[in-house]
Amino acid sequence: MNLFLVGLSYRTAPVSVRERYAVAPALLAERDAKLVAEARLDEGALLSTCNRTEIYGAARDGDLALEHMHRFLREELGDGSAAPVQIYELEGGEVVRHLFRVAGGLDSMVLGEAQILGQVKDAYRAAVAAHSCGPVLGRLFQHAFRAAKRMRSETGLGESSVSVARVGVALAREIFEDFAGKRVLLVGAGEMAESALRGLREAGADQISVVNRTLGSAVELASRHGGAAHPLEELPAELARADIAITSVQVERPLLGAAELEHALEQRRGHPLLIVDLGIPRNVDSAAAALDNVYLYDLDDLEATADRGRQLRAAAADSAREIAHHEAEQYLRWLAVLPHVPTLRGLRERLEHIAAAELARSQGEDTERVAQALVAKLLHHPLERLRREADQGAALYYAEALRDLFGLDDEGEA
Amino acid sequence: MTLVAHGFAGALYLFAAFLGWNGRKPGGIRFVVAFAALLHAFGFYGLHLQSPAVPLSSFPAALSLIGWGVALAWLLAPRWLGLRSSGPWIATIAAGFTIPAVLGLQLAAPHAGVAEGAGIWSHAHVLLGTAGFSLLALASLAGLGYLAKERALKRKRPWNQGLPALESLDHAEHVTLALGFALLTLGVATGFAWSVSQELDPWNRHTLFLLAAWGVYLLPVGARVLRQQRGRWPARGVVLGFVFLACSYIGINLIGAGT
Repeated sequence: MNLFLVGLSYRTAPVSVRERYAVAPALLAERDAKLVAEARLDEGALLSTCNRTEIYGAARDGDLALEHMHRFLREELGDGSAAPVQIYELEGGEVVRHLFRVAGGLDSMVLGEAQILGQVKDAYRAAVAAHSCGPVLGRLFQHAFRAAKRMRSETGLGESSVSVARVGVALAREIFEDFAGKRVLLVGAGEMAESALRGLREAGADQISVVNRTLGSAVELASRHGGAAHPLEELPAELARADIAITSVQVERPLLGAAELEHALEQRRGHPLLIVDLGIPRNVDSAAAALDNVYLYDLDDLEATADRGRQLRAAAADSAREIAHHEAEQYLRWLAVLPHVPTLRGLRERLEHIAAAELARSQGEDTERVAQALVAKLLHHPLERLRREADQGAALYYAEALRDLFGLDDEGEA
Repeated sequence: MTLVAHGFAGALYLFAAFLGWNGRKPGGIRFVVAFAALLHAFGFYGLHLQSPAVPLSSFPAALSLIGWGVALAWLLAPRWLGLRSSGPWIATIAAGFTIPAVLGLQLAAPHAGVAEGAGIWSHAHVLLGTAGFSLLALASLAGLGYLAKERALKRKRPWNQGLPALESLDHAEHVTLALGFALLTLGVATGFAWSVSQELDPWNRHTLFLLAAWGVYLLPVGARVLRQQRGRWPARGVVLGFVFLACSYIGINLIGAGT
């Protein structure tokens, strides 16, 4: 049994192609069942995220399986718009190493992101529900989860935020345990500020105010995020009520000086105020950072943290790759032994049968004699075969195999 | 048996702290702390049954009681205290009080505490005072955490400290200060009543020390509870108040100023 993979990802295809091959989570199990409905694949599982659509399969006949997987991707999952060069196929150990890297976030657009592991788990659950996942793929996915867990816990991969917006949210978490009921004030309508606001909203912030010079832009932005819009003149009053202020206005001089902030703080009774200044030039006078209960972070502060996060992740990724490689080798060893399991099971059963028969026959006899008889019985068939092969020239091969299997050379050396 | 229960409780708090600092799930830490607190309760019951009984006012027993109080406060009202994610800290503090107490209990003379037959006032004084002390210890630790976190945020290096959010620390400090001060006040009042019931001088050094500590606390309590002030200055007041209270406690119980 061998492993195969056919798919496309952000590394090979643009979003305009990927979106045509994406499978909705609700349809995964149905597609999995269809994937293995033909006998060309013994096992199959689909992984579909916004960055990749991949078919994992296990089959005895590689050519038939790959042909089926290519056709399934082209015709059942997508519309055939992907160019051949945008579709990749992997086989054997490469499939294992690839899935382990994917599950650990090493193949993600944002290195070390955690969401992908949940998506791989969803893919596995769907395949199990569709009965398209057997022992080979089942073990592969379980092993991938274990590898991903090790990568995250042993290397610190994914611990640091790597985008300015995420750093802003992480920073807010250091001050406020949860964002429900917290007032977020957006001053200006910059793209980065909106990205930070989106992060805060995902984290639970539900009271949004937008202040802008152009009220129309403020209204538009506020309506997108379920907030309230205010003209710039209302900034001092809004600031006094805000817990988190994100500023990104094009100004020549700081919009907020220490004096304005001090005035706002008088009404706050020591409630902390986080100001994330994303404006260039800066919107808030740096002297305001010295005020009690004001935590002022500008773009450089956030970028430095994001950059450190990227460096930490890159450093952790090397160790994570080693873990992925090590875990993949373990899985491949298991897979290599898999075809021989019936042989090993047969050998064990035969030896146990001989032992049981010999013990039943020699009730009450001397232990040493029983042991000798048992050894003779166990070795009878292999030695007979060795003698027979001596005439046909294969005896050397058998003898070497025996020496290796029973460690005769090791014992000799000892 | 009593010492074994205390010892196991201390070890379990330590184990919970170890789990917490190694990133284990909060549910697991909570379970271990709860089990330790249960064992701890058996330990106290054992102290009560011991002949002669070890009074809770003996220094090691009181230390152990503070550790237990901290763990119980967190177990019963983590959300209210604002310390839901502070399991590792709580377990460390509980272990920090319980383990030295176990060593102390081994050495302590059983009669070194409240005199037998001292009546309900003595027990009320010890229990209320110790409970107040536990909560004020938590308040001062929350205050210390607040000051450390605030400093890190101002220096723009707030990452990887393992401390709860600044607002949570502030809330924990507020709640534990208010409750702890109320209990301490009751402890002082019952101590006074105890002295009167025993026909002792109610203005002895024990009471005076406690009253002084109570007075020092008035300032942060006034700022926090009555004026609703938050932030760095009240936190400093809470920490200083506890330093004074701890010194008074040591003065009363170790140096024997009140006896």
